[in-house]
Amino acid sequence: MGRTSKLLLSAAAAVLAGTMPALSAWQPQKPIEFVATAGPGGGTDNLARAVQNIITKHKLVEQPIVVVNKGGGSGAEGYVYGKASAGDPYKVIFGTSNAWQQPLVSKVAFNYTDLTPIAAMAQDEFLLWVKQDAPYKTAGDYLKAAASGEFKMGGAQSKDTDEVLTRMIEKAGKVKLTYIPFKSGAETAVQLAGGHLESHVNNPSESLGQWRGGTQRPLCVFSPKRLPQGPKVTATEGWSDIPTCVEQGLDIKQYEQPRTVWLPGKVTPDQAAFYVDLMKKVQATPEWKDYIEKTSQVDTFLTGAEFDKFIKEDLEHVKQVAGEQGWLVK
Amino acid sequence: MISRRALELATAVLTGSFGVTVVVSSLDNGIGWSSTGVEAGTFPFLTGIIIVLGSLYNLVRSVLPAATLANVPIAITSIELRRLAGLFVPAAIFVAAIPLAGMYVASSLYVFTVLAIPRHQSVPRALAMAAATALALYVVFERMFQVSLPHGALAAALGF
Amino acid sequence: MENLSELWHGFTIAVTVPHLALMVVGVLLGILVGVLPGLGAPNGVSLLLPLTFGMQPVSAIILLSSMYWGALFGGSVTSILFNIPGEPSSVATTFDGYPMARDGRPTTALATAFGSAAFGALIGVILITFLATWVAQVALAFGPAEYFAVYFLAFASFVGMGGAAPVKTIVALAIGFAIAAIGIDTVSGSVRLTMGVDELVKGVNFVVAVMGLFGIGELLVAVEEEFHARAVSSKIEWREVFRAIGRLPRHSVALLRSAAIGCWMGITPGGPTAASFMSYGIARRFSRRGRHFGTGEVEGIISPETADHAAGTSALLPMLSLGIPGSATAAVMMGGLMIWGLNPGPMLFVDQKDFVWGLIASMYVGNIVAVALVLLTVPVFAALMRIPFVVIAPLIVIICVVGAYSVSNSYLDVVMMLGFGIVGYLFKKLFYPLAPLVLAIVIGDKAEDAFRQSMLMSKGSLSIFFANKLVTCLIVAGLALLLLPLVLQLARLWRKPAAPAAETTAQEKVII
Repeated sequence: MGRTSKLLLSAAAAVLAGTMPALSAWQPQKPIEFVATAGPGGGTDNLARAVQNIITKHKLVEQPIVVVNKGGGSGAEGYVYGKASAGDPYKVIFGTSNAWQQPLVSKVAFNYTDLTPIAAMAQDEFLLWVKQDAPYKTAGDYLKAAASGEFKMGGAQSKDTDEVLTRMIEKAGKVKLTYIPFKSGAETAVQLAGGHLESHVNNPSESLGQWRGGTQRPLCVFSPKRLPQGPKVTATEGWSDIPTCVEQGLDIKQYEQPRTVWLPGKVTPDQAAFYVDLMKKVQATPEWKDYIEKTSQVDTFLTGAEFDKFIKEDLEHVKQVAGEQGWLVK
Repeated sequence: MISRRALELATAVLTGSFGVTVVVSSLDNGIGWSSTGVEAGTFPFLTGIIIVLGSLYNLVRSVLPAATLANVPIAITSIELRRLAGLFVPAAIFVAAIPLAGMYVASSLYVFTVLAIPRHQSVPRALAMAAATALALYVVFERMFQVSLPHGALAAALGF
Repeated sequence: MENLSELWHGFTIAVTVPHLALMVVGVLLGILVGVLPGLGAPNGVSLLLPLTFGMQPVSAIILLSSMYWGALFGGSVTSILFNIPGEPSSVATTFDGYPMARDGRPTTALATAFGSAAFGALIGVILITFLATWVAQVALAFGPAEYFAVYFLAFASFVGMGGAAPVKTIVALAIGFAIAAIGIDTVSGSVRLTMGVDELVKGVNFVVAVMGLFGIGELLVAVEEEFHARAVSSKIEWREVFRAIGRLPRHSVALLRSAAIGCWMGITPGGPTAASFMSYGIARRFSRRGRHFGTGEVEGIISPETADHAAGTSALLPMLSLGIPGSATAAVMMGGLMIWGLNPGPMLFVDQKDFVWGLIASMYVGNIVAVALVLLTVPVFAALMRIPFVVIAPLIVIICVVGAYSVSNSYLDVVMMLGFGIVGYLFKKLFYPLAPLVLAIVIGDKAEDAFRQSMLMSKGSLSIFFANKLVTCLIVAGLALLLLPLVLQLARLWRKPAAPAAETTAQEKVII
């Protein structure tokens, strides 16, 4: 880092420090716990640790931060813990859309309304992957072949994002797929490489190595437009070369998984505002950009009413799919 | 004094009731085959049934004349029972005290009590060991590995 | 021999002064987290991970993997000295390690364990060096049906061999399966067997169960037997360390067999835990002194330890070549790889030759460093056995309590651990075997998942377990191991119709 930029940074920090009391009256007085609702090494855990590193490196908070993994029960452990810590502004919960999807389909002892939403910080894309030597070149070919009804689709967890998307593909493509749930996306990717499955819908980072290594390739991305230009992944292709699924006749415009940040319920608006502000500052750092790029996620920041609207819309959508499949818990 | 038979009986009842709980709660998840494959309750249900049947067998065996059972009719003598209680009761109190007193205070009190009260160690030595325990826990867990041990309701009330 | 020259290149990277220093630091830290139950290699790795961001990827992975070796070795210490296995894979080490230590031979037990562990690890690394590509291919052949077959084989080789009453074995096994099922079910996503306790949705962690069953349970048995009267003359004996190592070659059959089992289970997705149990089970069946297993037999320590480390080492290969983390530690390391800008997967061997071969070379050197350091600590650890029982007992209680808590910062876990302690005591007292219960807790839910995934794939037909040569062989081997003792027993009954009743009481001496 050059001297000028260092100067600029410290100037910016001084400005920030000066304005901080005005933005949020509340300041943490003791160590903060980051609760990752996933086991070590998962996407959510990586996010929590990346945020922790950025905050520590830039000294955005005076107090130390500890990351705790509570990934039991597909993340339910962490959310239940958040619910039990109502009123405690020293617990920050990192999760996904699980927070509102899981209570719909299984009898877990929490709902997203038990928590205070802070922000959705990044969106993970979904792609349709097949084995490298599979005969189909486009999503259209894939759907035609899948009409036989013998296709096996793998995914992480059951009645979670991957299976919801699978059911959407079934509906949009008028096919029937056998969904096989595994523990994680990484495990699913290996099963596809071994030829035990026909396809899966992993996030980019979960199958990046496999694509580079030539054991599987993406057919299309579930996104309204192609992914941003980046370095080539294989010799000839990069993320931006993958067509969207709509282009290829699989009419699912958008399907994304947000990485979400929560506080326990019953915290004061001041306390919530402090963390919203903190996450905004994290997002402004070059390390964050680097993290987003390396994990092939999309940088977004939803908070307040926007975030609420996003949750409501997603909830309606999942409710519809889950209702059709008969998954809703009574 | 506890006879072998009574202990066998109690254990069989314990495992049996666990089995019944498993069977009952697995029924909620559905048993058998559905469009989503083998239903979630099937395996727990089967294991529950096995536990119940096995426990019943053990129960019946323990009621039958002791000749088939074992060569020692007495499982725990009263002296042994006292020794067991001497270890387990303080440990249970220690665990029960953690939410209130926190791990550090509870563990040092526990070490001090079990060493000093039965006069296994002199009071100053017991004190030193109690303090060393709490300090070691703090350094290794809280400092080195960033595992935050419970500080307890008392500490929270005092503002730690 | 292209691999050999690559390896040589790797050594030039790994054997430098800074890297050797990193290894020593990593190993020492690893021994510390390994010895403390509840803390494991994942804790250490996540502690060190932020420190590694500024390092070269090779240096970073050398530091982290050395810690992994240290933790693997350290995990056996508490198993042998206090009957508290800190990791699932060191449970089988307690069966003979603890009796031997209690018998006044802690130095022998520890040195034997470390020596055979180092041998196992060495075989694992050699396998990685020369058969990397082949191994990766083998691992790919494993779908759900094959996974199930491997778990089945592990169960079959272990269960049905104990000396306990059959019905009690079955009850213990079934309880283990039920405990493994608690929490969210992967295949259906529904919550199972929480019995109204919301927090149980996370499931029952193995460490919590084992610290209670083994640690507290053994403490209760010991206090009752007036354990403090024991006069263990465990002097600090350096010579005994070397003597124990020197005696290892006498058990070369057991060493080689266990290393083979370990490598096989490490490549196939069985993992170190299944490997150590299976190796112990098979050793007990085929060793000449099999009847004495459970009383402090040398081969009872060699077999699980060698297999554990052979599997632990060769399990790192799928992580590198396929990007599947075989364990929690591997998962954190993989997170690290991504942060360092490397993508685990098939291309790593092509793109990052320095990194991969530096790591493989460091496995050789790191293991030598680890075993040297850990052997130095043997007399120190063995001296712990001389602390009077009244002093060590409360410390063990605290270790178990803190260990159970730190698994997932949950007070409920501590209470459950204490409950498991009572169960462990009762089971031990009444000759219910604990090992099948623990094995079922560790791999029961994985076996169930694999079975149900297979059923989904085959639409409910059992023929999937005979669909190809690989899975058929595994299942047949499993069935054979399961039925062999029954057949032998029937044959014996045929020859000697009147089974002596006294046998039951005689059998109740040693139960695994």
